Amino acid sequence: MRILVVEDSADTRQYLHKALQEQGYEVDLAENGQDGLFLALEHDYQLILLDRMLPKLDGLSVLSTLRNAGKQTPVLILSALDSVAERVKGLREGGDDYLVKPFALSELLVRIEILIKRKGESTEQSSKLQVADLHIDLLSHKVYRGQTEIQLQPKEFKLLRYLMEHAGQVISRSLLFEAVWDYHFDPQTNVIDVHVARLRKKVELDGHVPLLETVRGMGYRMVEK
Amino acid sequence: MVMFRYLKPSAAWVTEWWKNSSQASSVWRLTRLYTSLLLLVVGILLVVLYQLSVGQISRNQNAQMNHLALQQKLLAEELNQTDFIRQFELQAGSSRQYILSLITTDNMYGQLNSVPKNIGICPETARFPVWLDKYDEIRLISGCSQSIEAGVLVIATDDESLYDLQRQFISASLIALLLALLLGITTGLIFSHRVLKRINTFNSIAQRVEGGEMTARVPVSSKADEYDHMALHINTMLSRLEDSFHAIAGVTDAIAHDLRTPLGHLRQQIEQGLIDAHKSGSDTQNLEQMLNKLDAILFTFKAMLELTRLEQKQQSSSFKVIDLQVIINDAADLILPIIEDNQQYLTVNDKAGCMVTGDATLLFRAVYNLLENASKYAGKHAQINVEISGHGFIISDSGPGIPDNEKDKVFQRLYRVEESRSIAGFGIGLPLVRAIIRLHDAQISLQDNHPGLKVVVNFNTAE
Repeated sequence: MRILVVEDSADTRQYLHKALQEQGYEVDLAENGQDGLFLALEHDYQLILLDRMLPKLDGLSVLSTLRNAGKQTPVLILSALDSVAERVKGLREGGDDYLVKPFALSELLVRIEILIKRKGESTEQSSKLQVADLHIDLLSHKVYRGQTEIQLQPKEFKLLRYLMEHAGQVISRSLLFEAVWDYHFDPQTNVIDVHVARLRKKVELDGHVPLLETVRGMGYRMVEK
Repeated sequence: MVMFRYLKPSAAWVTEWWKNSSQASSVWRLTRLYTSLLLLVVGILLVVLYQLSVGQISRNQNAQMNHLALQQKLLAEELNQTDFIRQFELQAGSSRQYILSLITTDNMYGQLNSVPKNIGICPETARFPVWLDKYDEIRLISGCSQSIEAGVLVIATDDESLYDLQRQFISASLIALLLALLLGITTGLIFSHRVLKRINTFNSIAQRVEGGEMTARVPVSSKADEYDHMALHINTMLSRLEDSFHAIAGVTDAIAHDLRTPLGHLRQQIEQGLIDAHKSGSDTQNLEQMLNKLDAILFTFKAMLELTRLEQKQQSSSFKVIDLQVIINDAADLILPIIEDNQQYLTVNDKAGCMVTGDATLLFRAVYNLLENASKYAGKHAQINVEISGHGFIISDSGPGIPDNEKDKVFQRLYRVEESRSIAGFGIGLPLVRAIIRLHDAQISLQDNHPGLKVVVNFNTAE
């Protein structure tokens, strides 16, 4: 698993290097847009972390050049430009995700994992999802725990679906919010926790193994133990 | 005098018109002032002129008649009846200007053949009709009566020509006043319109600057008059304002870059420490607290920067047509569990739809922020209502509300209502909401819900 980090700040570069290595990724570093673009075209990376404001060649130009050259490597843009318009610009140029600086490492790791995994299994489309004895039918919107049908509100259904689609992965609160509500900002309250707590109350039935676990400081994970 | 009889109804009409048009723009106010001054001056001139001409003649005439009457009275006292009557007939026969008559108990002498009714006693004069042989017709003459030893003396003068003069004077005066009125209104309108046109330019420029267009400037003409001086001063002021605006923006950008980056690095280090501590199994509580506090700082910081940016921003071309109903229902969905946990009630009345042009994420944040505030401050068992009207939405709650004198202040940065200090918050939510609402060319106002708070947001919808 090889990741390219294109970032001009030496501190952040070293920090990302160390953090990603600890997670078991191989890391290449570039400190400006030109070097970044060169490396990205030369090698096949699983993922590129791309800063936007870079010397020599800015991040968005690197990205568009890369896409024009036919490279479909997932790109996660890291930027201090946090307005929705900037985000839209970044995604339109071919970015796969956009994370605003300063970010939480946990958030970054969660998103990296999702991007790499998404790339691997993007062809697989099923109308049913299952984790242990929890089933959901994406067409009829029905949810069963074992034989018991569970009634969910539309937003609760979306929440559960996202968690189950990414079963085994840690999902951060802001990822959940973006996926379910589709607005891009940080509500900065425990509101997502409250929603997950409600969902948990409905899904975790007595006599069944708990499936939805809280990962402290990071988010939630749907997991079959 | 006679003129006042004409002036009275017209004065009443003028005051009526004055009252009705007092709400009109200052063009009318200035014109009215100018016109009434002009009319006043012309009026005074006419009155003086009247007194000096027609008035003077009429006064002289009256004085003469009184003089004559007095003379006859004295003569009647001095002379015996026969001598007096002879003298009188002589006098009456010789006087061309005055018509004299004497009515005794048994006879009448002089030019009149009957005693006029309703005649005043000298020096009061009155007009009355008589048949005059001289003209062979009935004429209106003015005169008075005086009782003397021998009987009643009637003294009169034919002032038909003076009356004609008076009438002509009055009609000429009315025409003059009418002309003055027309002149006053036209010149007043022209001049005040010119003046106001320039003032309106100032106004429209001020409005544009208010709307965030900092580069707008007042045009300066080559006349170099007071208005041009004012325009120059205002332009200089605007330039200064624009400079400081950019300076503030520059400072915030600098803060954004210079302060956020090290804070970000600090966050990275704490997070790294947290991961290391997790691995080694040591206590992480301290580090987690630090991280939470740092996140709170970063959040406030981000919100402040965002606020500054939103306040400086102008309507963006990226705005799209958005259904307010969707935004409000999404926000209500998000807040609902919190409201239920606080044992409050939320109802959304979205029967009337409302389409607005804007940024969905920003509007969502504004609505969510308002709902969050309502839930935070309204207290247990509060009822929170959201209603979509054709022009916007209203969020009301049954909580304690906000005192009137604080309603404006809550929109200020970092302001917090005294009673709410115990509740966690930064005093940045409402300013942010207002910045978003203003960015959408909409208005937000806080009203009393009796009891509670009512937040009314109105968009300038297209229909």
